[in-house]
Amino acid sequence: MEINGKKIFMKPGRTNQEDRDNFIKFWVKCMRLMSDEEWSKQQNLIINSQLQGADHKTYLKVKGLNRKLG
Amino acid sequence: MELKEKEIKLNRELSELDKFALEFLSILKKYTDYVIISGYVAILLGRTRATDDIDVFIKPISKQIFSSLYRELKENGFWCLNAESEEELYSYLEDKLAIRFARKRLSTPNFEIKFPKDKLDEQAFDNAITVITKQGKIIISELERQIAFKKYYLESNKDNEDALHIEELFRGKIDYDKVNKYRELIEKRKKEHGNKW
Repeated sequence: MEINGKKIFMKPGRTNQEDRDNFIKFWVKCMRLMSDEEWSKQQNLIINSQLQGADHKTYLKVKGLNRKLG
Repeated sequence: MELKEKEIKLNRELSELDKFALEFLSILKKYTDYVIISGYVAILLGRTRATDDIDVFIKPISKQIFSSLYRELKENGFWCLNAESEEELYSYLEDKLAIRFARKRLSTPNFEIKFPKDKLDEQAFDNAITVITKQGKIIISELERQIAFKKYYLESNKDNEDALHIEELFRGKIDYDKVNKYRELIEKRKKEHGNKW
């Protein structure tokens, strides 16, 4: 991946956890090459999509909250 | 992103989660001091995941002040997921239980507010960091505390990954003597109260 003229790559992990950890290290390297605005736009795709897809009734049940949505 | 003393300047584009946090905190801060202690800290600082809830310690307040806070939250479109009665909600806080607030007709994201249970919790207010965003300030507990709690108290894969993100991002700026001091206090608490206290 090339960010602002610098190529960076993610080292594959030998286990799922190592791979996840390597992704975190890779992502932090990406963040350092980008402005806050640039990296946060990418990150917001994940955050905003989770919030938009939330199932609120099920969430209350899972959390053991015996209330109707307010 | 820039860490200086006890401030982080963050020019990020705000997510829906950040906007929710700033809206809730703009009311909460009128009534008491707060400090955010949860995974939201890592997310605010760029970790690529979302969350259902934002955990926050608030300094203990009287029932009267809680009553005003609760009224203003309701007037501004928040509801409490745990109960409706003010007395019941305040009794939960007094019992050191967390209560959750979300925007009306939604359950997530929600703010989980609680009083500190002991000195270790109270210490979250010490050396807190102010994150300055384009639309407001957010107070978070110090990075060393975040790392120690995630690695040695919460200990899930997700929490270890949050700690790794913070460690990588602030490499060279983390005081590991302080992390280890927190670790000792955490181990002591675990011996006295178990892991799930």
